[in-house]
Amino acid sequence: MDLLSPTERAVSVEGLVRWFGGRPAVDGLSIEVARGETFGLLGHNGAGKTTTIRLLNGVLSRDAGLVSVLGMDPAIDGEPVRARTGVLTETPSLDERLTARENLAFFGRLYGVTGRRLHDRVRTLLDLFGLKDRADDRVAQFSRGMKQRLALARTLVHEPDMLFLDEPTAALDPVAAREVHELIEAFRREQRRTVILCTHNLVEAERLCDRVAIMRNGRAIAIGSPAELARSIRAPVTVEIEVRPEERERAAGILREGGFGESALSRTGVTFRVEGREAIPEGVAALARAGLAIYRVANTEPDLETVYFALYGAPSPAEGDGRETL
Amino acid sequence: MNRTAIATIVERDLTVVARSRAVSLPIVILPLIFFVALPLILVVAVSAVGDDLEDFGELLAIMPEPFRRELVGLDSTAQALVWGLEYLFATFFLLVPLMTSAVIAADSFAGEKERRTLEALVHTPTTDRDLYLGKLLAPWLAAMVVAVGGYVVYVLVVNLFGAPIVGRPIALTPRWLLVVLWLAPGVAALSVGALVHVSARVRGFQEAYQVGGLVVLPLVLLLVGQLTGVLYLDVWVVAALGAIVWALALGTIRLGYRSFRRERLLLQL
Repeated sequence: MDLLSPTERAVSVEGLVRWFGGRPAVDGLSIEVARGETFGLLGHNGAGKTTTIRLLNGVLSRDAGLVSVLGMDPAIDGEPVRARTGVLTETPSLDERLTARENLAFFGRLYGVTGRRLHDRVRTLLDLFGLKDRADDRVAQFSRGMKQRLALARTLVHEPDMLFLDEPTAALDPVAAREVHELIEAFRREQRRTVILCTHNLVEAERLCDRVAIMRNGRAIAIGSPAELARSIRAPVTVEIEVRPEERERAAGILREGGFGESALSRTGVTFRVEGREAIPEGVAALARAGLAIYRVANTEPDLETVYFALYGAPSPAEGDGRETL
Repeated sequence: MNRTAIATIVERDLTVVARSRAVSLPIVILPLIFFVALPLILVVAVSAVGDDLEDFGELLAIMPEPFRRELVGLDSTAQALVWGLEYLFATFFLLVPLMTSAVIAADSFAGEKERRTLEALVHTPTTDRDLYLGKLLAPWLAAMVVAVGGYVVYVLVVNLFGAPIVGRPIALTPRWLLVVLWLAPGVAALSVGALVHVSARVRGFQEAYQVGGLVVLPLVLLLVGQLTGVLYLDVWVVAALGAIVWALALGTIRLGYRSFRRERLLLQL
């Protein structure tokens, strides 16, 4: 570990363990998250994502491991840690008998925001999250998307340094999910807060996260940016090379003879599939050596979904630090 | 101790209670029954029967001597009203703060679990102590408002309709003041201590309320003791009972607080 300096590090976790009823929910998890980074915890239900958030925010105690959040140990400094974090729980966790304004004010006061500052924060957030016109309606009358927007606003009421977002778009329809994605993107872009995002939504992770840890049985079986993870697996890469139309068949023959996998003619040139991106420059060089004019090379790398299923389809990782080297 | 956090939790819980019919309706109906309807029925019934209260004489005979001395010089109608409105109702009165605090306290953690509002609350920087105190104070304060307000209404009702028959003020005695300002707060605190403890351990409001229903039992025993003449609630007995109840309440609250962990709440979600 210790890939980041202490000033760069928002979260440092080493060998984190938490048992429930004779079964480890988190089992030797080790991750580091940089300040300002959006870090995803990606995995199936029961992979240990929510438990990890609860451990990092000091509302659950750990059985083993070292944890530092914003320079503090949440097991010892639970309250100071929570004062600087905002949590979007899996369900909106809003009181439906209170209005939107009352919900925000209630949580604001619990986070120590009072008086004029609270009034201003509540008004700003209601405006920012498009709830100004419904501010004094009871939350029971809100749609799921509105509740989720309000819950997101609640996480920001005390201007935290760090956000934990647990399945922010679970149970939302596509339109509401898109709204929430746009809001998260906006505040990570504009405010550069550290965000830890739990999700089983691969598109969401790819869209929002700088790096992700793919979790399985309480362990991180892979950590990296979506692009790094994609490169790390030897999934087929499809490459399209644009050549003159009259040279397409010749190009396909050169690639076939060079052993670059199956190739086919496309509308503008030739495509071929290789196992791993290392073969791409060799294929392009072979065409260049044959005197073909190459106008464009485009490759379709495996996305996070491919990586996720490649890793989840693999046998359980060997015991050790709980991570595969990528 | 963070007073702002405690006051915030109290304010929110009382607002939520006021907006919930299932919780607020019993809190409104109960005082109306005990402080208005029952005293009026007693006044009307006793007045209708008039001097034909032979059975009451038998009941009076088993009452403790100090109480019988309070009735010297009154006719049987007035005696029956003093027995009912001034003596017996002092115990009935305790049912109101007890039930009020029990209903709200049962809703405290268990209601939050049902409404799925608890997780965001435990993720706030509020300490376990402040969270627990806030949850205790909300039902206790509500019970006190109902008790004191109810007493004022009761005094108005019984003195408007009963005092002219008795020929002197009713329920304006040191015993009543002790019941309202010393014993009732203790009873409410004991009920709250027990119910919040239970509420933090069960999954729903109904379960908490059913388990917590046992808090009424000591009051039933007190009522039986009064009716059979075994127990006479004079000022000293009320003061002593209050001290015992407060000691039990503080012990229950301390026990509940010491075993209260937000982690346990989370694991039940």
